[in-house]
This record gives sequence, C-alpha cells and structure tokens, in this order.
Amino acid sequence: MMSLPMLEAMLPLTALAQSAAKHRINRMAFLFVPNGMHMKDWTPATDGAFELPWIMEPLKNVKSSLTVMTGLTQHNAFDLGDGGGDHARSSAAWLTGCHPKKTDGADIKNGISVDQLAAQHIGNRTALPTLELGCERGAQAGNCDSGYSCAYSSSISWRAETTPVAHETSPRAVFERLFGNGDPNETAESRAKRLRYKHSILDFVSDDAKALKSKLGSRDQVKLTEYIDGVREIEQRLEWMEKSRSKSNISAASEPSANITDYGEQLHLLSDMMVLAFQSDQTRIATFMFANDGSNRSYKNIGVPEGHHEVSHHGMDPVKLDKIKHINRFHVENLAYLLEKMKSIQEPDGTLLDNSMIVYGAGISDGDRHNHDNLPTLMAGGGAGTIKSGRHIRYPNQTPMTNLFLSMLDRMGVPAEHIGDSTGKLQQLI
Amino acid sequence: MGNISLISLYFLSPAALLLLGASASQGHSTQAHKAKTASISQNASKSPDTFPKDILPLIKTYCGTCHGEKSGSAGLSLMAFHSSADVLKSRSEWEKVSQNIETSHMPPEGNPQPTKEQREQLFAWIDGTLSKGVCDVRDPGHVTMRRLNRDEYNNTIRDLTGFDLKPGDSFPNDDVGYGFDNIGDVLSMSPLLMEKYMSAAEKISMAAIVTPEMAQHPAVINLTAIENSGSLSPDGDGLFLPTTGSEAAVNYDFTQPGEYIVRVKAYGQQAGDEKAKMSFKLDGVVNSSVEVPQTAKSPGTFEFAIKVGLGKHRLAVDFDNDFYQPRDKLKKLKEMDRNLVITGIEIARPEGTKNSIPASNRRIITIAPKTPQENDKCARIVLSSFARKAYRRPVTNAEVDRIMRVVNLTANTGDSWERKIQLGVQAILVSPNFLFRAETDPNPGDAKHAHPVGSYELASRLSYFLWSSMPDEQLLKLAADNTIQQPAVLASQAKRMLRDPKAAALADSFAGQWLQLRSLVNVSPDPAKFPVFNTKLRQSMQTETEMYFEEIVKEDRSILEFLNSNYSYVNEPLAKLYGLSGVTGDNFRKVTFADDHRGGLLSQASVLTVTSNPTRTSPVKRGKWVLTNFFNSAPPPPPPNVPVLADDKKGPLEGTLRERMEAHRKNPICASCHSRMDPIGFGLENYDATGAWRTKDGVYAVDSSGTLFGQKFTTPGQLKNILMEKKKQFTRCLTEKMLTYALGRGITTNDKCNIDAMTGKIAKNDYRFSALVTEVVQSTAFKMRRGEEGTH
Repeated sequence: MMSLPMLEAMLPLTALAQSAAKHRINRMAFLFVPNGMHMKDWTPATDGAFELPWIMEPLKNVKSSLTVMTGLTQHNAFDLGDGGGDHARSSAAWLTGCHPKKTDGADIKNGISVDQLAAQHIGNRTALPTLELGCERGAQAGNCDSGYSCAYSSSISWRAETTPVAHETSPRAVFERLFGNGDPNETAESRAKRLRYKHSILDFVSDDAKALKSKLGSRDQVKLTEYIDGVREIEQRLEWMEKSRSKSNISAASEPSANITDYGEQLHLLSDMMVLAFQSDQTRIATFMFANDGSNRSYKNIGVPEGHHEVSHHGMDPVKLDKIKHINRFHVENLAYLLEKMKSIQEPDGTLLDNSMIVYGAGISDGDRHNHDNLPTLMAGGGAGTIKSGRHIRYPNQTPMTNLFLSMLDRMGVPAEHIGDSTGKLQQLI
Repeated sequence: MGNISLISLYFLSPAALLLLGASASQGHSTQAHKAKTASISQNASKSPDTFPKDILPLIKTYCGTCHGEKSGSAGLSLMAFHSSADVLKSRSEWEKVSQNIETSHMPPEGNPQPTKEQREQLFAWIDGTLSKGVCDVRDPGHVTMRRLNRDEYNNTIRDLTGFDLKPGDSFPNDDVGYGFDNIGDVLSMSPLLMEKYMSAAEKISMAAIVTPEMAQHPAVINLTAIENSGSLSPDGDGLFLPTTGSEAAVNYDFTQPGEYIVRVKAYGQQAGDEKAKMSFKLDGVVNSSVEVPQTAKSPGTFEFAIKVGLGKHRLAVDFDNDFYQPRDKLKKLKEMDRNLVITGIEIARPEGTKNSIPASNRRIITIAPKTPQENDKCARIVLSSFARKAYRRPVTNAEVDRIMRVVNLTANTGDSWERKIQLGVQAILVSPNFLFRAETDPNPGDAKHAHPVGSYELASRLSYFLWSSMPDEQLLKLAADNTIQQPAVLASQAKRMLRDPKAAALADSFAGQWLQLRSLVNVSPDPAKFPVFNTKLRQSMQTETEMYFEEIVKEDRSILEFLNSNYSYVNEPLAKLYGLSGVTGDNFRKVTFADDHRGGLLSQASVLTVTSNPTRTSPVKRGKWVLTNFFNSAPPPPPPNVPVLADDKKGPLEGTLRERMEAHRKNPICASCHSRMDPIGFGLENYDATGAWRTKDGVYAVDSSGTLFGQKFTTPGQLKNILMEKKKQFTRCLTEKMLTYALGRGITTNDKCNIDAMTGKIAKNDYRFSALVTEVVQSTAFKMRRGEEGTH
C-alpha cells in the first residue's frame, strides 16, 4: 500500500507508542564514538535506498534495519562564545542538547539527557531504569579539554543538570549488576532472608541520613539528598528482585572473564551485556561510549599506532584521513557485531533488533574542524514497528538532533514536550 | 593562581564579599582553638591612593598598546581602571597581570619593555594591593562535606578490618575538580555507586568475619549451575563429558581468601586400554591430573587443595582421554566409548580452619558471648566500638540503637551470633556517617564567623590528608581530650604521620594527581617506534617517581629537588632506558647521576612519557605541564575562532618539529601562549616520547635551546637551572596544590595572603617537605571552619 509519509506532529503525543502492538516492548540505546567521523566515507551517496559507504560496509547483514540520518545538529555543542573545548562539549551535549557550562571546578552544569529523561517516566518498568556502559573510565587527573571538567568528556548520560552518570567499564561487573552475584546454590529461603536484611539496612541508613541532614548546611544537604536518592533506587531494585522469584535463565556461561586487556574484546563483551540486558528485559534504556571524547587511544591492532585524537586533526593529510576512516570502520565492525546479535534473537513480534532503536554516532562531524552540525548519525532497528528502516534520510542541515530524541521518547511511551533545543518531532521516520 | 576567578565567583558572591568587607573589625584570639568563634573581618586602610600617579602611567606605557581599547587583547582592557578600588574589584584579572609581570611574560617579546626597577615596582604594587584586601580577613573558607573517594575507601577498609581488599577498585572513578579527586563539592553520589557500596559492604563483612556457618559446611555446587561443554549424562546423574577437552566449570565466588579443598565426585564410562582421566584446573591452569577408575555404580571422590584470593575463581574439570571405536560387524568389534561423568563438586575449608580465625575477626570481635544471655550485650559492645572507628568519632546511644535494630532481625532465624555481627558491620559500612566526612557548624548559615574545626573532625582532616585513611587510635585519643588542637601537638603528629608507611598515600594520591602520573596507564607509545616500551617499563616509570617523591617526604628533603637534583631510583629496565650501566634486576636502587642529563622530575621517564603523543614528543604538552604543575600558570585555552592547523598549510608538514611549530607560531594569536609553552618543551627535546636521551630526532639534530623568563638556555640542564631560580613561584604553586588537596576545596582569593605567608615560612625552613606540610596543617583554612554564604 502506498501512503503519504505520516507527519508525527499531527499525531497526539504517544499515539505512536499506542499504535504499536500493545505488548510489544521497545528499547532505546545510544552508542557514542569520539573525535568525529570521516564524513566522505560515512555519508551514503543517495537518499532513500542507499549503497553502504565504505565505513558502513561491515553492516551489510543488517542493512535493511538501518536508518542513516544526515543533517542532524547539536547546536549547543558549538562554542557559542566559550572558546575551545569542542570535545568536552560534544559528548556533554550529545544526548542533552544543552550547552555545558565551561568550568573545571565544582560548578558543572549541563542538562538532563534523553535516556535519563526516559528513565524518569518508564524506568520503573524494569529492574534497572537504565544501563550505562563505556570502555574508558573518567579521566583521573586535571581538566580534560581546554578548561572543561572531565565529567563532560566522559559522560553522555546526565541524570540532572549537575549530575553526570558514571558508566561501567567492566563487562564482568555489568554481568553481576544484571544477574546478581549468581550464587546458584542459594536457596529461596536464604535469598529471601538476605533481601530482608538488605531492606532493613536501607531503612537504617535512611534514618542515619535524616539524622545527619538536620545538622548540615545546604550544600552538604545536597550531597545527602544524592545519597538518599541512591538508597531509594536500590530499594526499588530490591522490590523488583523479590517480585521476580523465578531465576533468570541466563546461564553462568555468559559471565565474562574478569581480565580483559584487548579493546576489541571489551567492546564485544560490553555489547554482549547490553544485548543480554535488553533480551532479559532488565532494562530498556542504555548508553554506551565506545571511548570518551578526545580519547587519544592508539589503534595498533588495525595499523594506527598514533592516538585517535592526534590523527583526527588530520589537516587534510591523506595518510591521516585514511587512518581515521579505518578507526571509524573498526568501531562500526563492533556495531555490526552488536546488531547482528540482536537480530539473531527472536521475540514474539520480530527480532530484538526489530523491537529496538539503536542510535550510533559522534558528537563531532569532522574531527579537524570540530563542527557539530551534520553529525554522523544512524539508527538501527524498527522501534517495535514504528520506524521504516533501510533508508538514508537527508534533513536540512542544522535540524536539531534533539528532535530525533523527541520522536524516540514518543515511541517509548514517554510524554516529553521538549528536550534541550528541540523544536518538534523529527519527520519521515515512518 | 589561574583558577581564582571561577573559584571566587563560586565561593564568594560579590554580595558576600561586600558583607565581609563591610563588617566591623573585631579583635580575634591568637589561639584559635580557645576562641569559640572568630569574626572574619578586615580593616579598611586609609592611605592616599598611589595608583593614578605611580602605576597608571606605567600601565599605559607598556600595556596600553594591546590592552587599551574597550575589549583588549585576551579580553582584558587595563584602561578601565582608575584607582586601587577599581583594581580590587577585579582581583582575578590583576592576579594574572601580577603573575605575567613577575614572570616577564608580559609585555611580549619585541614590544617596549619596562626596566627591571619598573617591573619590580609594578609587581610590588599590584601584589601588595591585592594582599591588603585579604590579609586581615581570617576566612577559613567553606568546605563541603566530603565523601570517601576510592583510595580513601580502600585504605579505610584496610585499616578498619586489617584486610587489604581494595573493593573501591571496582567503583566508578571519582570526579575531579581543581586537579584532585577529593573535592567535597565535586564528589557526587550516584545510584550506581550506592549499589557498589552495598555490595562491597556485604563482601567486606563476609571476608572479615568468619561465621560458624561458613567455616563448617562445605558448599555444594548445584549441578545445574555448572557450565558444561558436554551435556547431562544419559542416566541424568551427572555432567557428561564426552570428548577430550570437554569441561565442566564453575565460577565460584570465594567470600574469604585462603585455602580450600575442592571435592569432585566422578566416574568413568570405561572403555579401551586405559581408565578415564581428568584434570582439575584453577583459573585455567592445570592443578593436577588424576585417573578415574570408578564406574557408575560407585563414583569416586577426588580432593584438590587450592589457595585462592577473595572473589571469583574458575574451577574446572576436563576430560583428558577420549576413546571411541564404532561398531564394526565385519571385524566383530562392538562399539566402545570412554567418557567422564561428574556427579558433584563441593568446596570445603580444610580441617582446622574454623579455629584459625582471621586477624580481622579479632580486630572487630573484641568480646564474644560466653552464654546466649550475653549475646545482645556483646553485640552492642562490638558494634559500638566498630562504629566509633568507622565514624571516626564517639557514637551516640541512638545511633547504636539503630544498628541493633538491624542486627536483631537475625533473632529466631537460626543465624549465629557472628552472622549478627556481620550484618551490623555491613550496615555501618553503608551509613552516611561512614561514607561521608561530615563536619558541623554551630550555625551552618553563618559565613561571617569562623570557629575551630571539631577535634575529631581535625583528626580526620589530618589523617585523610596524610594517609588517605581513617585516624589511628593515637589521633582519636588526642581528639578525645582536645589536645590535638594545640599547634605543637598538631605539628608533631604531622611529622609522626609522615614517617608512617601509610604516608605512601601522599605519593599515590597527591603526587599521582599533581604530576598526572595517573594518566600514565592510558599512554601507549607506538611499539614500532619505541620497541622498549612495555607494561613493565611503564610500571617502572611510575615507581621511580613515586619512590623519588617518597624519598623527599621520608627524608624530609627540600621540595626544590622536585625541580632538580642529581639522584633518582632506577631498576634494570629504567637503567637501560636511561643508558646507565651496572643496574640489574627489577629491584629499585638509588643512583647518583654523573651529568646533568638526569635529575629532578622533568627528566623522569614518567613525566616525559605522559606528556608525549604515541608517536612523538609534544613540546606543547610538556611546556603546558610545567607551567600548570610547577607554576600554576596554565595558559588559557585557545581563544574562539583560532584558525586550525589545516588553514596554515596544505598537505603534510615538513621539517623538524621545532620548525613546524615555529611556523605555526608566526600567528600572533597563537604566539601569545605558545611563546610560553613551547620553549620549555623545546628545552626537553633531548628526551624522546618515552624519556630516553637523544641527540637526533629522526634525521634532524635536536636543538634544545630557547629563552625562558627572559633568560637563554641551550640544554635541558640549563633550562632546569632557570626553573630553579623561580623558587618562590614554585613553592607557592606547590603550597596551593597541597592546600587544595588537604582541604578538599578550591583556593579562593581570600586564601592568597595565607598562601603568601606560608610560602615565606617554607623558604625560611630551607624548603623542607615537612615545613610545607606543617604550614598546611597549621593554616587557618585547615584548622578553622565557617558556614556557607548565601543560605538561610
């Protein structure tokens, strides 16, 4: 049947989510790569049906699930008079659409990110509201980029405007979070007892926190409020664990090893964890930083011994450009691994990939120019029947990327009116 | 003082500054600890303003060309200032001006320069004026409650339990502010971290306290939990391992480190000439291989002794000798198939373990009940004593009552008394009283009156500063009777603590961050260009600098030795890198250098590598590193719209690195900062990207000459001599860094005067490390507190 492109703006809020099959679960994830992209070999030559550009070639088995979007922009990642620091701003603004405050001290300020906004509304439907993954810990010393705190370049996920969310870098630790310490010998009785004790400890610390709070000044109280929020979230988590009496059917064989030295292996294992979390419905929202922005990691395994950030300032040097595009493709190979895995998992209505929206991209377009318009962005998955994939859509440049987020939130059943600099929902997705 | 502007805005709003300035002068006690409160105030000085007559003309002459019009170069117009009152309204700008004049950075080369006397006069006036405003203010500043960071958590757990478990290693990194990860305002608490605290507390309590339940019963591994590359046996009685290399494995979480017996029950489906054989592997390494002659009728039990650390270990059983012969009617052979079947795995403590209680048990369980009637009483004693240490202060009855409410849940559950203590310990370790170091003010909204930090709080300030850990009994005792408040006691405690092995935390946490050694793990020099670089060399680099730092701490040497000296610590890998002969083995030893190629931090491979790119050195990064970490004068970030390198020239760059960079510096916008950073970096070009000495970079000869602070140098040794002349600036920088670290807050303009005075006293004490530490712990900021401004 031939139909006109549906204009989302015409639909009432969350109508899309409602129109999707009633019990069909939708998920969203945001996968971030640093230091921009070799745009020439990223952008498909034609609109609509497209040939995979060189960097995307590894995605050939999931091509029909891809929606490549050109023209999306994070205006607030530009300097707007603040000078250098595009790497820090690119990651900080990527999911928030906000202009991060330039500081390397105590007063960091950004905005809430799309994943956390979704979690506020639908996070209580799963054991974990969200899952944050990344390959690099936050930097440990100094400011990270031209006077910006390291919090900006190592966090795409922001719980509130002053609170970045740390990501987990160890696949083993993620596994333990998802499936507990996995002592399969534990009896139901002892498990129940342990949960009861935990509840009582949480009551105890809440009382302690209340007693302490009354003696403190306002800034100290802010710290305690964060603490109390954390306690509350764990309480909710415990309640989930009590409800789900049946053990998860995740076999111990999926538990990753504790010692990983290879970056490629880490990417694969963290991807496995994300897929497991979606598959077992432990969470429906995830973020994954393949590396922090400004990362100067060396990619010796693919013949690029120089640091990524260093070569991303290519100055049109063809040798450097070639290296960048190989790094870009290496990251996409991992994306392919993840998407193919999702595609292999059957759910009642289609595959796990069909029932997800996986956004992949960078917060910088050209690594040398540090521009934040025309961002390299693709979305994989069918959004539980709400996205018509297999296309390259060219939007007018400067289209707020946050419009895409609004459309995604809608598909998740989150009634958001705006996020960051959004101006409305993104058209043509269906 | 590059950070001042932000900090002052944050800590003291203009309104609050006005308030401080306006409040009338009150007499304050010389012995702060005796005074209940001391008013933060300043005298308004009334002498004629010398700015218009003496200073403005010099500024006009030498600075006006660039900083004249409305928005001058670097956004600074100096023509808008007409009086010293104007100057005081823009402290942070004038602090930069003062620094740039003192270091001869401004006016830039090629512009008319003031005479030496004029320069000194300008500096003295600005510095004096800026000091005048704050020297009478005895403002300790406000410190926000600090959460234990990862290192502090690890060390505190070590000192509380006696077990060095390092649970914090799996926590997310702590946020960094003002260069350090122990800043109260910046340390946040996330649900993820809270979850980690909960799980760590459970693990610690189980590792530190042995319960009868744990000591007596072997853990029987549920067969369905075993990861099996084969399948269930045909009879369903065990795990079926059909081919050579088939494996049954379990990732077992050992809650206590130590010796264990793994019992494997197995039998063979025997066939062929030999009996079935199996290997037992611990973490992938074969522990032993045995023959399994038993059959399904009576499986055998095999014991393997292992010794493991805390946490998960992989226990695996492999089938070693598969044999299969298909049925062959012609040859009259029947089918023969040898397989291994595992029917059970148990993990037990060896005999006698229950009597060998770990030291942590004794440390925590100071008294055990002899009769069940004593259970509650003893639990209360044990847990109050543990809570006192964990909270680093006496505990109230109400607090202990709350703990007891948790542990009394174990009543009528069949749990042992020890389990009860475990639960109490677990609860205490997630209490905000443990995880945060709260300091209280009599009136949290009063920013105008300072009061001495409480004695227990002071003990914690001291111990977390020097040990990154909890106070020991001696400190707690001195806190109990308030003697810790006495300056002499404070000073002698600081000296004692510096000699304690726990002071290694200063090298790890303070030096690790000050010198950015923590970033060393992230660098990966190109193996093609630097084949000698490997993990061991990287670790050696770090160890050298840590030992060098510790030498200065322990031997109470001059802090100027950070800049230059003639010794260091090396092992064989480092000695090879440095071209030193006669050093063999991995052990470090002190060496004295014969020439000035090595000596001081700037010639240590750690610093030289951390400031390099993977394939080459980066003079800019090295220069910036020195300015930032030695002189606190990090150049500002590049201004907006700086032309990128791509616009400078097309195609690959050619020539020496220096030539390429000098070409880049022809752009005056770039030059204003790079003229400060690059010469320092060029002076260190004799060290390659891993710190090895070189005289050639590729085909080009290394040229390590340059001009710094107006003085010429031609070798790294001469560069260091010039740096050595900036004793005062270096000392001031290090004092600021250490004060930031000790207080857990950013430095504000109100600290300037204190820091100046401290710098002077450290110089008088021959720049000894202990003088630096003593000045920090004796400072108003360290010993006093006040509430926050702008609240209530």
